[in-house]
Amino acid sequence: MLANPALRPLQTAAILILVLLGVALMAALAPPAMQRTVVEAMIKLTVVVGLFVFVGNSGVFSFGHVAFMAVGGYMSAVLTLAPARKETLLDLPGFLEALQLPWPVAMIVVVPAVGLIALAVGWPICRLRGIALPMATFAILIITFVVASNWKEVTGGRQALVGLPRYTGLWVAFGGAALAILAAAIYGVTRHSLLLRCSRENEVAAAATGIDVERERLIAFVISAMIVAAGGVLFSHFIGTITANTFYLDLTFVTLTMLVAGGMRSLTGAFVGVALVSIVSELFRTVERGFSVGNVTIAAPPGLQEIALAAILLAILILRPSGLLGDHEVAFTSSSSGSSPAKPEG
Amino acid sequence: MLTIDNLHVTYGNVVALRGVSLEVGEGEIVAVIGPNGAGKSTLLLTAAGLVRPRTGSVAFDGRSVASLQPEALVASGLSLVPEGRHIFGSLSVAENLALGATVRHDRAEIARDVERVLTMFPVLRDRYRQRSGKLSGGEQQMLAIGRAMLARPRLLLLDEPSLGLAPLVVEQVYAAIQELRRSGVTVLVVEQNASRALAAADRTYVLNTGVVRLTGRSDDIRGTPAFEAAYFGVQAGAAG
Amino acid sequence: MEFLQNAIDAISLGAVYALAALGIGLIFSIMRLINFAHGELIMAGGFTLYTLAGQPLLVLILAALIVTAILALGMERIAFRPLRKANPATLLIASFAVSYLVQHTVLLLYGSRAMGVPFLADLSTSLEFGGLRVPRLQLVTIGVTLLLMGGLFAFFRYSRTGLQMRAAAEDFNMARLVGVRANRVIAFAFAISGGLACMVSFYLVAQTGSVSYKMGVSMVLIAFVSSVVGGMGSIVGAALGGFLVGIISVSLQAYLPVDLRPYRDAFVFLIFILFLFWKPEGLMKTRADRERV
Repeated sequence: MLANPALRPLQTAAILILVLLGVALMAALAPPAMQRTVVEAMIKLTVVVGLFVFVGNSGVFSFGHVAFMAVGGYMSAVLTLAPARKETLLDLPGFLEALQLPWPVAMIVVVPAVGLIALAVGWPICRLRGIALPMATFAILIITFVVASNWKEVTGGRQALVGLPRYTGLWVAFGGAALAILAAAIYGVTRHSLLLRCSRENEVAAAATGIDVERERLIAFVISAMIVAAGGVLFSHFIGTITANTFYLDLTFVTLTMLVAGGMRSLTGAFVGVALVSIVSELFRTVERGFSVGNVTIAAPPGLQEIALAAILLAILILRPSGLLGDHEVAFTSSSSGSSPAKPEG
Repeated sequence: MLTIDNLHVTYGNVVALRGVSLEVGEGEIVAVIGPNGAGKSTLLLTAAGLVRPRTGSVAFDGRSVASLQPEALVASGLSLVPEGRHIFGSLSVAENLALGATVRHDRAEIARDVERVLTMFPVLRDRYRQRSGKLSGGEQQMLAIGRAMLARPRLLLLDEPSLGLAPLVVEQVYAAIQELRRSGVTVLVVEQNASRALAAADRTYVLNTGVVRLTGRSDDIRGTPAFEAAYFGVQAGAAG
Repeated sequence: MEFLQNAIDAISLGAVYALAALGIGLIFSIMRLINFAHGELIMAGGFTLYTLAGQPLLVLILAALIVTAILALGMERIAFRPLRKANPATLLIASFAVSYLVQHTVLLLYGSRAMGVPFLADLSTSLEFGGLRVPRLQLVTIGVTLLLMGGLFAFFRYSRTGLQMRAAAEDFNMARLVGVRANRVIAFAFAISGGLACMVSFYLVAQTGSVSYKMGVSMVLIAFVSSVVGGMGSIVGAALGGFLVGIISVSLQAYLPVDLRPYRDAFVFLIFILFLFWKPEGLMKTRADRERV
């Protein structure tokens, strides 16, 4: 039925969503603490899949996508917070202060809005070449951070916005991640992603054969920003509060680690990367919380988790530069590029 | 002096050399000629230690170069003038020549060798303090050879020294190669310019699509049907 | 008068940015590595001062220089040498990882709170020149930076190793083909870069009187921008870029409407993006974006 090789990304997406469903069902039976870990991992998965759409297909690193998480999160916060709370925390124009949308409506408003912003920002930026493009994305991250931490009227400035409806439970997170995977796969079967991947192999040659690299990059950039923004919305409504610091260098590092660790050129790689990093983080978080041996509690000092992550990323970059999966994807039909995510080599 | 045995080199999935064997004796000028993409540059880059072979060996003075870095090979007497010359364009002619002597520390001797290069290529003396990026192609080639000479190599590898040069300049470059040989330097030169290389070299190898198709004394193989076949890849009626 | 005051502020801040950008630009010129972990070299210098607080000044300075140089060499040996053939993007990600690793190691050892460090406290007083108040620290900073730059310039211009480093920056593989020892020049570059980072940490600690495990981050971001503005790979460009960014920062601080001043850094980075469209290769064009042999 899906024998057409051009449709393989859809197969991959189907498998990944099934695996994700399995994880969600198991988590539904697990204790709440474990459930929260799974929810957080699924939100990160949404973000990393979004990042993959641009970085994986174009081969250009972006350090700025976390900014779209922030924009999405803040927009959704403004649209869903109770008017009374907005009155005390923020200084919004009257109609915005009075507005309180149900969260699904807010989501439907926010994601295209971020898409428009990404279009406006990406249109000039995608014209840059070489190292200038990643540098510009870095600048976007910093600008967003500075604005978010100072624009008291809208973001609350350095103060955290609290009291967001915490609707991101297990099934909402699952839905978000599944939709993100589906969106990435649908983009993956379009001509646009094919052209963009050509430019990834050789930008000059691709341009010489008439591929409009700038346009293809922009398309991926906008789609990717929208998915990442959805992840940001889910994240904010998972934590229930939102601060500028959350969406800065640390989160950028963690999401990039997830993408690179699994293999930034494959959707399956993004999936595996998120799983690996989440499991490692959780293990170390447990150790940091401390555990009892007899009547002695052993707790590792904070920071160990991050050190482990950085060491793993370095080891992967050195020993397996294309990530655990390289550009392999899972699929039903076996082929040269098929490989099981359960037993990554190396 | 240089012994290459059954060399296989690949870049990713692309095979560049498929079992090349080659010998250069002390005091010889040996040419490797072949069309574009034959694997000539790869051969020299591998001999100079910049590219690592998949299998096969390269021995310089009977010692394997497999574990040596390019900079160590220069110190032991093997220099490469790569295709495209690769002079340091932002540095002056003087600085380029000084870099040629990186592996040496005998100041007085270095000064004498610089003088020798400037005598051999008088244009470089006129432009000694200028940015070398402003030199013409021929002058750059002379500078590249002069720079290599300053390491006092016993074996000099030259990659396409005549590429893009006017005929008169090509003659000058080849006159310099002959002079180097008279001073005791062994030369392995790679060329697409077959007739020029055949005229200069004692022995010639014809390389095509990563394989040595023909080898012999230059005088013996010049203009023969076997040479044409090897160079143009036409073999026993089968077009390659 | 106010303009003159601002000009001195701009030059001294520009001098610090230039030192930071030089450290980044030097490594990039030779390895095509944008070393995000340069900020952690700055931080390590600061924490050496904290750890050894109370020792004589000379001991402090030497110890900090040694620690940053060793840390820089260690980063190269462990993380960047195995990646020498990787592309610039991979190298940048790797340096991100190194930065994160060092930061959190310090977090683990010293905790996350900023800690006070008395260092060069007597430089915090100001000199008066007919209505112009100039903190001594600014004068020292400008003086030390000029000295260091002169020294570096002479080193690159006249020493054998300096010449080899310039050659390696222009064409790394060709430099090896004339016999320049790759490991040696790269180690040299890292050691110098560590020393430059240490100078920046002296300034930061003297200026703020404190250290924290994230103290290098904002400086490294500015240094990035400065070295890109100057032209990645150009050492003169990095210094130039640093001064330029310093001047822009101080001008924005001085002349932006009060409401907008908190957003100064956003404007700096916005101007940076605009600059990228105007001159994506920076002020000093180099061969950095072209391919090697």
